[in-house]
Amino acid sequence: MSGNIFNTKRFIQLFKRDFYHNRQLYMLSTVAYTGVILIVLSITQVGNGLIPHNTEIFQGFLIAFVSVFGILFVGHSFSAFRSKERTMSYLMMPGSHLEKFLLEFVVKICLMILVLPILYWVTYHIQGYFFTIFTPVLFEPVGFEYLTKLDIDDENFGTLIKWAIGSAIFLALCLGFTGSAVFSKQPLVKTLFSLAVIILFFTGYSYIVLEEMGVSNYSPPSDMWLVPLTEKSVLIALISALLFSSLVMLFVAYRKLKEKEV
Amino acid sequence: MININNLGFTYSKKQPPLFQNLDCELQAGSIAGLLGKNGAGKTTLIKLMIGLLFPTDGRVNIMDFDPKQRQPSLLQDIYFLPEEFYIPGISINNYIRANAGFYPRFDLDLLKRLVSAFELPESKNLQKLSYGQKKKFLISFGLATRCRLLVLDEPTNGLDIPSKGIFRKVVAGSLDEDQLVIISTHQVRDVENLIDRLLMLENGNFILQKDLLDIASRLNFSSASAATDESILYSEVVPGGYKIITPSDNGSSSVDIELLFNAISSGNEKLIEYVR
Repeated sequence: MSGNIFNTKRFIQLFKRDFYHNRQLYMLSTVAYTGVILIVLSITQVGNGLIPHNTEIFQGFLIAFVSVFGILFVGHSFSAFRSKERTMSYLMMPGSHLEKFLLEFVVKICLMILVLPILYWVTYHIQGYFFTIFTPVLFEPVGFEYLTKLDIDDENFGTLIKWAIGSAIFLALCLGFTGSAVFSKQPLVKTLFSLAVIILFFTGYSYIVLEEMGVSNYSPPSDMWLVPLTEKSVLIALISALLFSSLVMLFVAYRKLKEKEV
Repeated sequence: MININNLGFTYSKKQPPLFQNLDCELQAGSIAGLLGKNGAGKTTLIKLMIGLLFPTDGRVNIMDFDPKQRQPSLLQDIYFLPEEFYIPGISINNYIRANAGFYPRFDLDLLKRLVSAFELPESKNLQKLSYGQKKKFLISFGLATRCRLLVLDEPTNGLDIPSKGIFRKVVAGSLDEDQLVIISTHQVRDVENLIDRLLMLENGNFILQKDLLDIASRLNFSSASAATDESILYSEVVPGGYKIITPSDNGSSSVDIELLFNAISSGNEKLIEYVR
């Protein structure tokens, strides 16, 4: 088990430890997630006169469930930091900072992004087929591709808009992830509160101070570098800013882990 | 194995430093007792030694590593049992599956022997065990890791009387020559026949760092009906007479650590001169 930065065998052992220690939590979360989906989909179908859901409803609920449960799950990152005893046990576990960080990132973000939509897809179909007992209307299964399919009516920038949405979601997850590393108690609430304060500060600053200074009247010359002037370059700048912010957030989380004292 | 040079530490800039210019050296093959009153800084010192806290000054070196870096090569050779610990809600067998793989020298047979010696139920969920049983399991697991540095903070707290005896027996019987055990405690009697080196901490300083053999060769611990003899360095009233410390004449007396601790922490200069 040599290699003080990354060792595959040790990383697998960390996965194994995470699985054994948190198995019950993962099982209960899965039951809660699928249970809520089943109940909400069933109530909606009963409310719609037992008519089976269509792809539009499928996608609407997909975004809602994955966002809400995703944020809750990401808010559970670095769960060892919630108590002094667990923090000591976690920090003394023989793994490098990078391995511990990657484990949290893979389990709480990467696997979550994969597993939550798949679980939703499976539950959606179980609920749909189960309700065929009560209604003569045929249930139409939804293709797996609808988990990622986004209908954007923009021929020119469709791909860029999808990238922008994806980057924004990734940044939101990274913010929750970093908040969990920064705040020991109630990380989700504190992260949302901090974000609200930061956004209010910048909005206030932009509208009150910069507006007063007449910054909005400034029009940059078209030959200036790094100033997005076309719609496409604005989108690219936005995507770059979102991805860069996500990387900064991840770096902050890594530093917090590395400098943690208890 | 452990080298501490000019260690300084403060919890915040507004507070006076807890440690200043602290030096200590500990070698493998011994069981060191870290003693001190409540709030003397025992747990803080332990945390600084193993990298859970970072020194504000000076240097800590363990097995040629800087513990602050928390490198896996060092962590796989350190086992720390804190006074208040975390234990997951899984069975003993699953705990072993989840954690034993981190320690290259892990000895499963030894763990089984220790679990059986402490009469722990293997299949029961660890969360459902009593505080003392949880502690006994973690002590057993720690010894089975065969880590070169074992740090036990108040290990006998919560243990029943027979378990304290078993604890002393298993610690003494499970160690190799290349291992060092640091036991931090204020329950001196529990570790009296176990430790072979004494570290006494008071007000952020070591007031004593000595091998017990060395102390035994200089001091004699005995009982007397009166404490009037001029040779008595320190005495304490006990039912039926006095416990006394006198200069040693033959070096064969066993060290009464509690008496010694009381004597030194009372600031008895004459006695301190003898053991320095």
